[in-house]
Amino acid sequence: MRITVLAAGLSEPSSTRLLADRLTAATTAALRERGASVETAVVEVRTLAHDVVDLLLTRVATPELEAARKAVADADALVAVSPTFSMSYSGLFKSFVDTLEEGTLAGMPVLLAATGGTPRHSMVLDTALRPLFSHLKALTAPTAVYAAAEDWGSPGLDARIERAGRELADLVMALPSRRRSDPFDSDDPGFVSFEEMLGR
Amino acid sequence: MSSMQFGIFTVGDVTPDPTTGTTPTEAERIQAMLSYALKAEEVGLDVFATGEHHNPPFVPSSPTTMLGWVAARTERLILSTATTLITTNDPVKIAEDFAMLQHVAGGRVDLTLGRGNTGPVYPWFGKDIRDGIELAVENYALLRRLWREPVVDWSGKHRTPLQGFTSTPAPLDGVPPFVWHGSIRSPQIAEQAAYYGDGFFHNNIFWNKEHVEQMVRLYRQRFAHYGHGAPEQAIVGLGGQVYMAETQAQAIKEFRPYFDVAPVYGHGPSLEDFMEMTPLTVGTPEQVIERTLGFREYAGDYQRQLFLIDHAGLPQQAVLEQIEILGTEVVPVLRREFDRLRAPGVPDAPTHASLLAAARPEEAAARPAERDDVDTAAAIAPEEV
Repeated sequence: MRITVLAAGLSEPSSTRLLADRLTAATTAALRERGASVETAVVEVRTLAHDVVDLLLTRVATPELEAARKAVADADALVAVSPTFSMSYSGLFKSFVDTLEEGTLAGMPVLLAATGGTPRHSMVLDTALRPLFSHLKALTAPTAVYAAAEDWGSPGLDARIERAGRELADLVMALPSRRRSDPFDSDDPGFVSFEEMLGR
Repeated sequence: MSSMQFGIFTVGDVTPDPTTGTTPTEAERIQAMLSYALKAEEVGLDVFATGEHHNPPFVPSSPTTMLGWVAARTERLILSTATTLITTNDPVKIAEDFAMLQHVAGGRVDLTLGRGNTGPVYPWFGKDIRDGIELAVENYALLRRLWREPVVDWSGKHRTPLQGFTSTPAPLDGVPPFVWHGSIRSPQIAEQAAYYGDGFFHNNIFWNKEHVEQMVRLYRQRFAHYGHGAPEQAIVGLGGQVYMAETQAQAIKEFRPYFDVAPVYGHGPSLEDFMEMTPLTVGTPEQVIERTLGFREYAGDYQRQLFLIDHAGLPQQAVLEQIEILGTEVVPVLRREFDRLRAPGVPDAPTHASLLAAARPEEAAARPAERDDVDTAAAIAPEEV
């Protein structure tokens, strides 16, 4: 199983990355309990910020950004964590998501999480993140995790992280193995031949 | 003409010169484009291709009008497009316009079909960008019949039906213009080109070589799949963009102010990063030669190389100088080296003469030698540069 972690924190280290790492650890542990072997890859959007903007402006992807997009596309599951800015995910987080090819996340199990200064913004999970990933046709785990500054000292956060990790692991295990179709491979079952395009 | 064709293509954008702040008028831009075509012939290039656009800041809305003028003032230049919109143009009008241009130009005509990626243009012509692929498929299937069948009965989804329709004039010598299908990212268009055994033009100016490689490989595989020959026999064209000076430092110094604020790639990656990620080469003629020869390593032996020269608001004089360098210093070496490296059995770039010879060998043999046989580039440029 390949778990890719999308972390859009702006500082280094960031609480967003800290939350992402703990969610990844919980998911990995739950998957191993279920007998799966797990590989993880981390996409730190901060290091790709200029590449993301360059792609949006010029369509040209750097090799680093290309690798990150591939890590997301090839994953069996995604852990997506954004800081909360002005009632939503950060612009940079969304901009990275905007660079993904259409359909990249369709059918992919995704664990949503966000960080913020106060618990009063925790609704961002269900007002911003979940609609975005629903639009992208991802399968979001029922539990999404919000960590405000005060949560880092509370056992409640640990419990939510563990539950979210278990839910993501159950989703991944329940689904058939993901295989992305390659539009440039004529042997791919999803390839559309010209006869089909002509309607013959 | 050698086995490969070299030329220039223009988008036709009216862009301010960032170093002077002056913007050419439409009239000036159009005259400049025409002068590039004449210069291309003068220095021994093979192809001039113009874009087609229907929105400012672009001027070339009527390519066959422009190319007809060029045809009258040139003798060997092939007139082409980059691209002709197969989605929003009526295929009947494309059939007529390009057949007429063939007659006017004595057969020195081919065209590259593209879909166009500007959403608002589609409804101005009664279409919808979401039907882009479907329009390209249906319109081209009709276009082929109009050029090949004297009387056409047709009905489809996107155009009013035709009953007993004859497209006039018929193509010159009954040989339709060669068609390239242009696509930067859609595998369906590579598939379309392969299905018909037409050419595939991949304008790779914004793409890394991995992407180019997979697009061209798919086209070649499917060309063979549809029985047109071996993958190596498929007809491939590539784009590229260059700016040259005597030293690379000088070229970069001159081009950077244009690059940094250019409409498409400005305010993005640095010039150096962009050169690494795309075919853009800013440097000496030797560097352009080396880079261009490298394209065959991932695209295979190919038939047509077009350079984008008049981009980013470069002034007319600078563009004319670039075409001069291309014609006298770059292309003669590319011709020689590509020919030397070329694997046996790779077809030459198609021309009207070669298509006629393939269709009706007796008739072609009875004709006087085509002007194509004169290697103007070799006559102008010494063999060693």
